[in-house]
Amino acid sequence: MKKLITATTVVLSALCSTVSLAAEGDVGVEASMDDRYCTTCHGAEGIGNIAIEAPRLAGMEAWYLKRQLENFRAGIRGTHAEDIQGIAMQPMAAKLSDESIDDIVGWVGEWEYVAAEITVDGNVNQGRTAYQSCASCHGANAEGNEALGAPALAGQNDWYMITQIKNFRAGFRGAHSEDTYGSQMLAMSKTLRDDQAVINVVSYINTLQK
Amino acid sequence: MTNPVSRREFLNLLGAYGGTSAVLQAGAALGFMPSSSQAAEISLKANNGKKVAILGTGISALTTAWELTKAGYDCTLLEASHRPGGRMFTVRAGTVIDEIGNYQRCEWDDDPHLYFNAGAARIPSIHSSVLKYCKELEVELQVFVNESKTAWVQDDAMNGGKPVRNTDYSSSMQGFISEMLSKSLGKEQLDSSLTESESEILLGMLRSFGDLNEDMLYKGSVRAGYGSGGFLDHGTKRDVIALRDLLKTRLAGNVMVTTQEGTGSGPLLMQPVGGMDRIIYAFANRLGDRIKFRAPVTEVMVKDDGVEVAYEQNGVTEVLKADYCFNCIPSHLMSGIPNNFPDDYSEALNYIRRGKAYKAAFQAKERFWEKENIYGGITWVNAPSAQIWYPPHNIHGKKGVVLAAYNFGGANYTEMSQEDRIEDFLAAGEKVHPNYREMAEKPITIAWHRMNHMLGCAPRWARVRGGWSEKEEAMYETLRKPVNGRHYLIGDQSTQHSAWMESAIQSAHYALADLDQRVRSEPA
Ligand SMILES: Cc1cc2nc3c(=O)[nH]c(=O)nc-3n(C[C@H](O)[C@H](O)[C@H](O)COP(=O)(O)OP(=O)(O)OC[C@H]3O[C@@H](n4cnc5c(N)ncnc54)[C@H](O)[C@@H]3O)c2cc1C
Ligand code: HEC
Ligand code: HEC
Repeated sequence: MKKLITATTVVLSALCSTVSLAAEGDVGVEASMDDRYCTTCHGAEGIGNIAIEAPRLAGMEAWYLKRQLENFRAGIRGTHAEDIQGIAMQPMAAKLSDESIDDIVGWVGEWEYVAAEITVDGNVNQGRTAYQSCASCHGANAEGNEALGAPALAGQNDWYMITQIKNFRAGFRGAHSEDTYGSQMLAMSKTLRDDQAVINVVSYINTLQK
Repeated sequence: MTNPVSRREFLNLLGAYGGTSAVLQAGAALGFMPSSSQAAEISLKANNGKKVAILGTGISALTTAWELTKAGYDCTLLEASHRPGGRMFTVRAGTVIDEIGNYQRCEWDDDPHLYFNAGAARIPSIHSSVLKYCKELEVELQVFVNESKTAWVQDDAMNGGKPVRNTDYSSSMQGFISEMLSKSLGKEQLDSSLTESESEILLGMLRSFGDLNEDMLYKGSVRAGYGSGGFLDHGTKRDVIALRDLLKTRLAGNVMVTTQEGTGSGPLLMQPVGGMDRIIYAFANRLGDRIKFRAPVTEVMVKDDGVEVAYEQNGVTEVLKADYCFNCIPSHLMSGIPNNFPDDYSEALNYIRRGKAYKAAFQAKERFWEKENIYGGITWVNAPSAQIWYPPHNIHGKKGVVLAAYNFGGANYTEMSQEDRIEDFLAAGEKVHPNYREMAEKPITIAWHRMNHMLGCAPRWARVRGGWSEKEEAMYETLRKPVNGRHYLIGDQSTQHSAWMESAIQSAHYALADLDQRVRSEPA
């Protein structure tokens, strides 16, 4: 510092009198560590982040969110060796306590629904036809159906839905013996013949954003 | 010793790499000594009182804040984490390791020698900007030993799995290479491209490089370590490990070249006394309460006359309005933060991928490596843990912190539980040092892909090996230009040589120079 010859030397010198390794932020660090680290991956207020392949959480139904966290925690989801993205998420839930899950569900519930950015451009008409067999569970407007355990799809990241449907079709998701709801969806995913059919149906779901 | 590679095979090999003349041409270029690199002189127009928002506290951000503060700008730094420094992170007694899903607290003895640089660890002597700030901010440096010939190489495939000293391996490898090369460069071959005195010098060098005998054959060397004696009695040579055996391990490349990259290499590197984060805190302590911790940025809006940055603090969203913004938040995290960047800028930002790397370390009960004549350097093992580093400082002290794993590229530790990671490096280290497991106390592991607010070890621009595509070059240029003359992307992500502190600092200097030009050209 002695060698500094700028106008601000005096001000700055006052600040560097302590050669401490604890910057202000280090104080009480553990007390403030909690399990609300989700936004690092899922984006600010859970808007989703394509670069991490972590989907939108904002606007997600509490019952569905809770079930997914519990499934990840129990290893029912995100443990198949080829479920690359699920494997990234699974350890994030592995150590959550019941209280923590409840806290997170409440916290995520504070985030407003925002429709995700559209990134795919398939054949909407063909997608509409294909979606008829999905509507019975996910609802005509893809608004979800709690009684059937099928989540809302409208407004979800299209790239994420594509991965999920492909993973269901390949048995990377929904094949675990205890995955009651996932196994239903696994069966339904087979109605989509190929990758293009998946893109088409997701393109149609994109038109249902609230 | 039998000659395992025929002369014909060897010449074919040479041909595959472009042949002797190609090698000579490349050599000719070496005649020009590269000029030594100098840190940029920063002289900003002073005291204009402009407000600057700086996002993140990576070394690029701290450099920016420091230079601007000295020039009288009003800086605020927003940092999501509880600590400054991003990838310059040192672990010591009490440090919290905020790896998501694998939270750890370091409980090593409270001793200034017992630390572990979990991110950046080595400073090459040509990284002038890093060194410039160490000097300016009075961060004491010491030599870091990157290569030790007494360290080991261990691979189950080689030497029946028994570890081999680096010097045993590398001396023999040098011997064989020299022998093959001298045989291959027969008279007629040399005549065509080298003068008599050049070939004489070349052969002389090969003899000395490989420690060849009068007949230009490699018959072992005391450089590989004495078989017996050496001081009171004549030293004897060790048995030569056959070339074929040396070629059993893919670690060969690492052992022969302890360098990672041309520009950052060398057996002599530096480290700050007490840990790499001394540099970080040298900046941070001087910047004081200009830094807001646990203040994650949640929105960045570039306006005509400035930038508005939303961030969270204690559960409340605040907005910081500034004239300019310098942003080192990793690109893959920026894509989850609402912003109004132009499409081509966002496209470039989202293009950059993140690399995977992990490290591990433990506190050793005793400096067991010193009993094996090791005082620094790197042991290479064929396991996910890959490397063992011995601390070059506090020689003959009581304890020491051993780096037990450092690898990049694949997933490995990223997807392993803490228990499995520890078992991996203990099992690998045990094959080298029989008492390794017993010596290891309080292990720590860090997978950068899972570190909160980082989620990666380094930006990766080029998608294919061997260079940047035109598209990538164009995207890079897009990101180097400030949005609306207001928002600057900084950090090693905004350079063509990622994963170095020097690059991050130079990105800040580049942006500062641009800002200064704009400020100077403003109407008074
Ligand atoms: C394992 C490893 C080994 C390395 N070894 C070396 C070495 O030996 N020598 C060398 O020179 N370099 C090395 N590097 C590279 C060096 O550490 C980096 O190039 C350099 O530190 C990058 O600095 P940066 O300015 O780009 O910022 P970063 O360090 O990337 O900092 C980014 C900052 O942004 C913050 N942030 C993230 N999200 C938000 C948000 N929403 N709001 C606010 N802040 C946010 C982060 O908390 C962090 O502080 C190594 C890196 C790693 C990981
Ligand atoms: C390291 C990054 C990361 C972190 C941290 C993280 N997630 Fe995830 N999460 C992901 C990824 C990637 C996926 C996508 C998995 C897939 O494609 O199957 C995901 C998927 C999910 C899903 C499934 C969504 C759906 O529609 O079925 C939920 C729910 C979820 N995460 C909640 C959370 C919560 C809550 C937290 C914080 C406790 C959290 N995540 C932390 C990366 C992360
Ligand atoms: C029999 C009822 C049923 C039908 C029909 C059905 N689904 Fe599902 N779907 C589910 C259930 C239940 C889940 C939740 C699985 C879980 O909890 O893991 C689900 C999950 C999904 C998901 C993952 C959502 C997320 O956030 O991870 C997608 C995408 C999806 N369905 C798309 C479709 C499409 C497209 C169709 C039509 C081709 C369809 N579903 C038909 C029941 C159904």
